Amino acid sequence: MKPRPPTLREKKRYLLLRIDPPTPDPDPKDLYFSVLDSVTSLYGDAEAARMMPVVISCGSGYAIVRCIRGYEEKLRIAIVTLTSVTERRIALHAVATSGTLLALRRRVSGLSPVRVETISSLHFRDREYTARRYQGQKVDLQEKGINRQELLFLTQDDLEGL
Amino acid sequence: MMETDACIHPYPVGTASVRRMAMEAGALGFGSIVVPGEVAGVYHGVRIIPAVIISEADLRRVIGQIRRHANSGNLVFVDAGDNGFNRAVLAQKGLNAIRCLHQIPKKAFDHISARLAYENSIAVEIDLYPLIHEKGIFRQRVLNRYNDLMRLHSRYHFPLILSSNACSVLDLRSPDEIRLLCSLFGMEKDDTDGALQTISTLISPVESVMVAP
Repeated sequence: MKPRPPTLREKKRYLLLRIDPPTPDPDPKDLYFSVLDSVTSLYGDAEAARMMPVVISCGSGYAIVRCIRGYEEKLRIAIVTLTSVTERRIALHAVATSGTLLALRRRVSGLSPVRVETISSLHFRDREYTARRYQGQKVDLQEKGINRQELLFLTQDDLEGL
Repeated sequence: MMETDACIHPYPVGTASVRRMAMEAGALGFGSIVVPGEVAGVYHGVRIIPAVIISEADLRRVIGQIRRHANSGNLVFVDAGDNGFNRAVLAQKGLNAIRCLHQIPKKAFDHISARLAYENSIAVEIDLYPLIHEKGIFRQRVLNRYNDLMRLHSRYHFPLILSSNACSVLDLRSPDEIRLLCSLFGMEKDDTDGALQTISTLISPVESVMVAP
């Protein structure tokens, strides 16, 4: 089948999103369903169909999402209202918008990769936590357990004060 | 002027320490954050503004607490109630902001309350938490209420403040994201910019100059 000429194709926009917390990376398929759910709940099925949000890639603390040109602002608003991906709390912050995937990939390569420096065990308020230390001062504590895994966000200074 | 998130709840109410909240808020572009029950300070270049939230239904108790905290260096916020409660509270000196307007009946904050808020320079809080976390009919109701509030604001020009009421760093949103979110209920960019900077004017209000004879 002959491909549609570029002038007749839909123009698209790509959004670069920072994933918070950066590790572990969410599954792209789960992220797609969460984005689609946010768009649908905020704007309805008709607008979601016009917007056509798609998750292009997801990894290393960043995700790239595509939509039809003209809907990038609505997609950003919908992404602001996204709070979880398959029960896991998450926040997505738009870093950049571009007309080409290449430009965003160049931008991602220019950004410093999110590095987890050390992972160790820690006792806090009589509970056992896994401490994940990031570059700089950030320390995330995830409670060890099966039922309820509390996630705490601290800094190095907070841990030294304990 | 600094852009301020008008209310966040760090540990133990939330799941992030105040230092971490300040660090993340600074990274998102805020110059200061309002934290109930915290002492004033600066962490990671972000100013912590202490506040007191009064969540009482009894009017006399509320007025007593407003008077007690009026000159304590804390911002004083009161949770809104019914129409009579709001009018009485908005006439009080020492109150800085009225909050939780999305939780009260529509007629509880009317044009008279709006005028009182303007006359006494009492800010009205727009809570972004339900817009982010609620869905369906609940979010529609909040959007409807904020639309109505913007209609009153365009007529009476009372000050507005914007708060994420974040309990975790994952609930924080950047000023740009807040601007986008506010466009959902018809808040213009200039109004949003003004609302993000209202806290600075609440801390150091502009007073008329008296010339001594």
